[in-house]
Amino acid sequence: MKILSRNALRIGAVGVAFVAATAAFAQDKSVTIGLTSDPSHLYPLAGEELSSNIMYYHLYDPLVKRSPELEFGPGLAESWENVDETTWRFKLRPDVTFHNGNAFTAADVVFTVNKARDSIRPDLVANIASITAVDDLTIEITTPKPYAVLPNDLAELLILDEEYTTATGDEQMDLKPMGTGPYMLEEWIKEERLVLTAFDNYWAGTPKIKTVTFRPITNPATRTAALLTGEVDVIQDLAVRDVDRVKREENIEVMARPSLLNVVLAMDTRAESPTIDGPNPMTDQRVRQAIAQAIDVDAINQIVMNGFSTPSTQYVPAFHTGYVDGMNFREMYPLDVEKSKALLVEAGYPDGFTMTLDATNDRYVNDAQIAQALASMLARVGITLELNIMPKSNFWGYIRVPTENSSFIMSGWDVPAGDAGSMYGALFYTRGVKDGYGQVNRGSYSNPEMDALVDKADATQSLEQRDQYLQEATKILMADIPMIPVHYEQDIYAVRKGVTMTPRVDKFIWAFDMDVE
Amino acid sequence: MFGYILKRLIQMVLVLWVVSVIVFLMMSFTGDPVFMVVPIDASDAEIAQARRLLGLDKSPLMQYWIFISSLVQGDFGQSYVFRQPAMTLILERMPATVEMVMVAMVLAIIIAIPLGVYAGANPNSRLSRIIMSFSLIGISLPGFWVGMLLIYLFAVHWGVFPSSGRGDTREFFGLRISLLTWDGWHHIVLPSVTLSLGTMAILLRMTRAGMMEVSRHDYMKFARAKGATRNDVLYKHGLKNALIPVVTIFGLQLGDLIAFATITETIFSWPGMGKLLIDSIYRADRPVIVVYLMLVALIFVVINFLVDIVYTLIDPRITLK
Repeated sequence: MKILSRNALRIGAVGVAFVAATAAFAQDKSVTIGLTSDPSHLYPLAGEELSSNIMYYHLYDPLVKRSPELEFGPGLAESWENVDETTWRFKLRPDVTFHNGNAFTAADVVFTVNKARDSIRPDLVANIASITAVDDLTIEITTPKPYAVLPNDLAELLILDEEYTTATGDEQMDLKPMGTGPYMLEEWIKEERLVLTAFDNYWAGTPKIKTVTFRPITNPATRTAALLTGEVDVIQDLAVRDVDRVKREENIEVMARPSLLNVVLAMDTRAESPTIDGPNPMTDQRVRQAIAQAIDVDAINQIVMNGFSTPSTQYVPAFHTGYVDGMNFREMYPLDVEKSKALLVEAGYPDGFTMTLDATNDRYVNDAQIAQALASMLARVGITLELNIMPKSNFWGYIRVPTENSSFIMSGWDVPAGDAGSMYGALFYTRGVKDGYGQVNRGSYSNPEMDALVDKADATQSLEQRDQYLQEATKILMADIPMIPVHYEQDIYAVRKGVTMTPRVDKFIWAFDMDVE
Repeated sequence: MFGYILKRLIQMVLVLWVVSVIVFLMMSFTGDPVFMVVPIDASDAEIAQARRLLGLDKSPLMQYWIFISSLVQGDFGQSYVFRQPAMTLILERMPATVEMVMVAMVLAIIIAIPLGVYAGANPNSRLSRIIMSFSLIGISLPGFWVGMLLIYLFAVHWGVFPSSGRGDTREFFGLRISLLTWDGWHHIVLPSVTLSLGTMAILLRMTRAGMMEVSRHDYMKFARAKGATRNDVLYKHGLKNALIPVVTIFGLQLGDLIAFATITETIFSWPGMGKLLIDSIYRADRPVIVVYLMLVALIFVVINFLVDIVYTLIDPRITLK
């Protein structure tokens, strides 16, 4: 009897706890998000990949904040100004605290910059020559040369707490992050779930959603299933084949938006190319144009990408600095097999030629299929493509500049800083003449005019002037065709009705901007 | 017995060493890990810095020497990608895998053995034929297909079980165990069933074959004649003699499932260690791969050792030398 009553009591207690739990749920908004993979890091200086980036921006803040549409505005820095050509002064936001209560000060920024320099990510501070704290809430940064887009770069540098980071050490920082961001880490069980709770003292206001749970679900079909069963509210990268099925569900919305990632084909312009016998035909602009006009981007969109790609008009998306309004690669070099053949005859290659295309099979959406489609398209004009397809773990080392193995490479490029300058400097600047320029110029393209324009753009303090110079550079590149822009992939999300979410161009899902009913 | 254990230990060390050498050799063909951690537009100086921080600036022979000498001191190295101790990464994912495999193996045994005995004792009955056809299906169907089918039917269509994840867990001697909570059991059903089907079918067929073989022997008829019940004859006299190959296969399957439950784990996004291996291979994360495969080798050696001991219990004629 006694046992029975004790059990009854226990059941009663469980019931009460259950009611309390549901009541708490009704008050506190929560959301569960299905990601494609578990983050590798929670420490911004340990490395970068998408899932980790998503976590970083929940836990930490940069000085300059990037909006979902890639506009740049105040973050931990309230305002900034140029003292002279190469000196910037940033006024920091007062009364900001880290999750542990430590005040955010200029010393933390100085610490972060210096820490980044010795880490695996020195690229984050490559354009900072020196940094000093003027007072507690003012810092001064000098750049090695005039550099108009420094604030855009700073949007990727997340500020660490000097005291905490020093005491915790790099290895533990990955497990116990501490920033000023809108969310704090509650629990991270690797490969299972990562739970964030709202930081009530967040400087931009208390987050609306109190608990955010991220679940890594690698298999696309399982991700769809988890959404359909209601186990998650939002999923990233809905599989293309599931789009129709999910659209039929009444309480789920499918959202797609073009990403920033431009899939491009780099052509070798050296006199001799590793996979081509004899002289390299692609030194001739007409041959490069012939290749461009043999590629049917719409067919790739329809057949390979199921309509989920956006053909590229230039090397950077429309809202980037350096984009020329109204200029369209697809109109300049439309698909025209006859024209393409004629150009090859004109250039002295009536019988075409043979070369190898290097591509990945696990990096871009349907990358191996795109490579196969390219081979059959180029075959129509007499160019034989041999495919060399490999996983990304081999790929990046294989195509590494100096490109000793490749003639024709398919890869992707994005510029989250919203500025064509860094892309042009890295991909199209003459190789080996200036430190930090041309380091990824895989086709060894060289045009002194282009180089001069990039130099001018990087030497001016004014954003308008930079835009002008880079637009000129875009025009040259569109005429020279050192690379063929193919398409932007589309990011596809599926969201349960009642959850408000705007996909960001940079793919960084950010719960602070989301809401649930 | 002591000599036997010593011999086994020496063998084990040898196996582990060979595995480490093979993996080190293999990994030199799978791409340069440094490109998996630096941004693609990294300058040479940035790459050199990353290489130095990861310890990849030394010669392969030197890297191997550093690996082996720290190993002897109990340091298994750090993951290039996670920057965490490789052993910790594996061990924190291990309970989930072991748990799922245990449930799957128990499931396989309690279903396969009785059905196998029945089918072996009554080879011509209709039920036996049905059992054997199902076992054929169990062997032939690929795990990823069965997994997706179960998710579609039981999670999406009927909503009886969750589609993925591990559910609530409870701490037990510092390990997170989901079998101690109702929610955990709820989550483990589908992945375990998926994982068990193949093994179940193999065990069933082995048991049946063994029973059919044993049934022909005179001692079975004699036991029956002396008055033992049919069940006694089948399970005590028959099964015990049919069990040796079954136990062998069981041991191999157990090791195999623990080490390479990757597909099932991926489909059910089960936070186990098999997925870590695949991810590490994609990321060229050598320290994790080496430690993982050495651990797998160790698991197989231990399981085989235990299987040998079980032999002596089943059949006293067998002794360990």
